[in-house]
Amino acid sequence: MSVTDDRAVGTAPAASVAVIGTGAIGQDLVSKIRRSAVLECALVAGRDPESAGLRRAAGLGCPTSAEGIDAILAAPRPFDVVFDATNARAHAEHWRLLRSYDTLLIDLTPSKIGQMVVPTVTGVHAPPEGNVSLISCGGQASIPVAHALADRFDVRYFEVVSTVASGVAGRATRLNLDEYVATTQQALTAFTGVGATKAILNISPAAPPAAFRTTVHALAPAADAETVRAVVAEAAERVREFAPGYRVLACDVRGELIVVSLEVDADSEVLPAYAGNLDIIDAAAVLVAEQHAARLAPAAQQGVSR
Amino acid sequence: MNAVVIHDPTLRDGQHAVRHQLGVDALRGYAAAADAAGVPVVEVGHGNGLGASSLQVGRAAVPDDLMLSTVREALQHSRMAVFLLPGWGTSDDLRRALRHGADVVRVGVHCTEGSLAERHLGFLAEQGAEAHCVLMMSHMASPAELAENAARVVGYGARAVGIMDSAGHFLPDDVGERIGAIRAAVDVPVIFHGHNNLGMAVANSVAAAQAGAGIIDGCARGFGAGAGNTQLEVLVPVLERTGFHTGIDLYALLDAAEFAEHKLMPAPPVTGSLSIVSGLAGVFSGFKHQVLEQARRAGVDPRDVFFELGRRQAIAGQEDMIGDVVAELSAREAVA
Repeated sequence: MSVTDDRAVGTAPAASVAVIGTGAIGQDLVSKIRRSAVLECALVAGRDPESAGLRRAAGLGCPTSAEGIDAILAAPRPFDVVFDATNARAHAEHWRLLRSYDTLLIDLTPSKIGQMVVPTVTGVHAPPEGNVSLISCGGQASIPVAHALADRFDVRYFEVVSTVASGVAGRATRLNLDEYVATTQQALTAFTGVGATKAILNISPAAPPAAFRTTVHALAPAADAETVRAVVAEAAERVREFAPGYRVLACDVRGELIVVSLEVDADSEVLPAYAGNLDIIDAAAVLVAEQHAARLAPAAQQGVSR
Repeated sequence: MNAVVIHDPTLRDGQHAVRHQLGVDALRGYAAAADAAGVPVVEVGHGNGLGASSLQVGRAAVPDDLMLSTVREALQHSRMAVFLLPGWGTSDDLRRALRHGADVVRVGVHCTEGSLAERHLGFLAEQGAEAHCVLMMSHMASPAELAENAARVVGYGARAVGIMDSAGHFLPDDVGERIGAIRAAVDVPVIFHGHNNLGMAVANSVAAAQAGAGIIDGCARGFGAGAGNTQLEVLVPVLERTGFHTGIDLYALLDAAEFAEHKLMPAPPVTGSLSIVSGLAGVFSGFKHQVLEQARRAGVDPRDVFFELGRRQAIAGQEDMIGDVVAELSAREAVA
């Protein structure tokens, strides 16, 4: 299955989309939504009218509000999709307020509330509950490879170490490290069936900033290096269909230990190249929204196989 | 006579030297010996703190819960400390450590990233625990940046704040200037934690005390990664001669150091060639084992690996960068 098979680009009327949160994730989402033929940026909501994110969105011609979630709730017609780019605690409240609406909530915080999506592993269909979790940047980077390794080998333990550049680790990320760790570990277990998992996040202030990287360590007896490299390369190729900056830096097998280093460069109009952590999660989120838009559009329903 | 509080992370930072393999008898025996010497605070844990046992830095021989309960039982008077790196350990780990009777919790963050400690310092303040914050790899920031980050974490609730010279890069004047800058920015005790890569750990610690640091770290026999930490049983008498009171019994401290030398480590740390290089390069000494092993395997010079890691500004916890650097140096040599 290709993750982009059922993107109905150009066949559906645009779905109305709101973004709540105006940090780097929110800004990149706005730019990616504007690139999409099937999504229309109908509102960008923040809390500070002076924030750079709101001003930039307004400059691009998007309707904006500094009323946060209240502006989303007050819209005359529910948005088809709301992206939540705030923080894990706020997301729980946003979900409580929005769950009775006919809106798909796509969560970019590590709240662990919604149905977890990793495009190359789960596909991008929105669940009936109406809440999709994008897990975490480390989860999006590691799970495609971890899932492929667990599929092929008898993996006993996974450990995922990610390093994010300080300049693209906003306040929410810094406050949500506990949630990042718990959510990433839980998702690794959910998608690989391996119970023993560990997630670690480093924040690096190196200047110039280094690209977002994730190292997957796996303990698996009897994994031969050649097969490991082939499995990893294939998993990475599929991720590149929607996140072209994703690549395998190194793939090493020593006895039972497999070490795969991955790097993600951002493919974005607003993010610096080193912000691959934000790019990969935003790209996955937009795929989910596009798929949902295709389902909503009656015209697309005939054109899209499912 | 001015007083300084001696903080002893032998059973935590020393773990880096033995790949986190300290056993229960070693933990119990050293904790009891430090307690008998009147060492005020004894820190215990995996080298990277609570919840940090991992393939990335090494798996601990003893789980956190057992480490903490063992040391707790061995301490009569000394207070027990634990260490946490946000992003490695979590609030759940802190909760468990407090249940085990941890009296002092140190939250460590890279020196420019004080805001990473906000959540956990806030949690510890809610719990009424004594929380400290240490700014690691502090040679990578200016005195003004260190002071700014120190003030920030005190705002989050840290009851002491200070710097770790994680790469053993500083000279005494560097330390005096930085401690002075932090002292001017905060009204809580200031911490200094030295490493001995360039043979300056004791001198740096004295400079810190003279600049007003109120808490100084030292490890028995300097037990720690690479060239080791500030040697505790040298530090204490030197501080006393310089005019700083520690309240520690010298003979009992020397006995504790004997115990450490024979029961905790294969040999006391020496300032080996690679440790000098890591100090000059400004790279965390804890990388030493992995650098040596991977460089040997690939046939590259481990000194080049350290200098390249320094150039890339690797911070503590980024052990996965070693493989990249070794592979790149190896490829470069193949071309040349």
